[in-house]
Amino acid sequence: MTDSFDFKGRHIIDTEDLSTEQILHLVDVADRIQAMGAEALDLAKGKILATLFWEPSTRTRLSFEAAMFKLGGNVLGFSEASTSSAAKGETLADTIKTVSLYSDIIAMRHPMEGSALASTFYSEVPVINGGDGAHLHPTQTLGDIYSLFKEKGDLKGLKMGFLGDLLFGRTIHTLVRLLTRFGVEMHFFSPEGLNIPDYVRGSLEEKGAVFTESEDMNGHLADLDVLYVTRIQKERFFSEEEYLRKQNSYRIDLEIMEKAKEDLLVLHPLPRNEEIAPEVDRLPNAGYFRQATYGMHMRMALISKCLGVL
Amino acid sequence: MAKKERMRIERINNGIVIDHIDAGKGIDILKLFPTEFLKTKIDYASYIDSPRMGMKDIIKIENLDVNAEWLMRIALLAPDLTISIIRNAKVQKKVKPTIPEIVEGILKCRNPKCVTIRETYLVSRFRVGRTETGRLKQQCTFCEHIFYD
Repeated sequence: MTDSFDFKGRHIIDTEDLSTEQILHLVDVADRIQAMGAEALDLAKGKILATLFWEPSTRTRLSFEAAMFKLGGNVLGFSEASTSSAAKGETLADTIKTVSLYSDIIAMRHPMEGSALASTFYSEVPVINGGDGAHLHPTQTLGDIYSLFKEKGDLKGLKMGFLGDLLFGRTIHTLVRLLTRFGVEMHFFSPEGLNIPDYVRGSLEEKGAVFTESEDMNGHLADLDVLYVTRIQKERFFSEEEYLRKQNSYRIDLEIMEKAKEDLLVLHPLPRNEEIAPEVDRLPNAGYFRQATYGMHMRMALISKCLGVL
Repeated sequence: MAKKERMRIERINNGIVIDHIDAGKGIDILKLFPTEFLKTKIDYASYIDSPRMGMKDIIKIENLDVNAEWLMRIALLAPDLTISIIRNAKVQKKVKPTIPEIVEGILKCRNPKCVTIRETYLVSRFRVGRTETGRLKQQCTFCEHIFYD
């Protein structure tokens, strides 16, 4: 890991590959880009972003594409495996090798864990990991970090709760590991069987993170500064029955919000299902749509940095 | 009362003796070697008494040499064993295999969602270490799943 702020040609696979200074630099670049408005349109002029999505993810893909368009660049790609050459039996390596000859940068999502790292061995251009199975999702994480800085100013000493599917929720896995660097105290609330995986817990223990785990929020809610909610991901379950059993085990509504701190910030990586009632949207505490915008600005920052245009 | 019978394992003149193998794991170690290496005299005793280990396995293979890669493969299966290199019926040296921090191309990831399962041309890569209790810990560098022996 180097502290260089020159990202030209580098891949973004795991936030653990970035130093704290580099992350703070990216936060600063995202801020600068947000302030640039239409001036940013010249940054990636004539450049092509390939969005390779073997797994459907409208939100992340559109965020990447919007980011590239707002930088003045162009986009090509596919949005599900059936429309890619994987349907014809092409290997990941061959797809990446070929597409990297057509494009200047790749943003990818793939269902297999470690696929983004594997792709870097075959790509001629920078690869940005847009999610590899239930493993990592660094651009969401960096967008979330940016959201926290924008909304809370400083992260040190923040008490942050995580509610929902913490086993398959890759956004959580990447985020919590990074938050240990910023002195955030973490509290995990998950239905039985959906708690954080061993390797994440091990990593937190190794880093000396302050965290608790429980099945419900009772006793913690009133102390929290931030509550990060995730949905139960149907696509991660092997049986419909198991999914339905977990689906409605928690929900944030106005009654719950009454018990929280007045300035509790509620975040969610979206899309949501039933876990946050729509009535919560009108509260200033509902930060999840602003979070989506911050995420796009962070992706603009990452594309610009990896292309070497900023 | 019947006398407890002791199994005798014959001496070898040249070859290797793999001792202090966890009881029952010897067969897995033998499986590591390609069949053509094993067309020689082999003594294999399983679940024999050991003052230090309680029970252990021991293997003697005539006319076989092991290089660093084989030592590492063996060590990954049974990290506490000892290998004696025998020359002219004498122990020429004793080797305690060591495991490097990174092991490439030998282990296979057991996470069904790991990219190395589907994209089989990828060379596996594991970070290997021990837990505080001495258990062998193997972490796939692709999916980061951790496996214990």
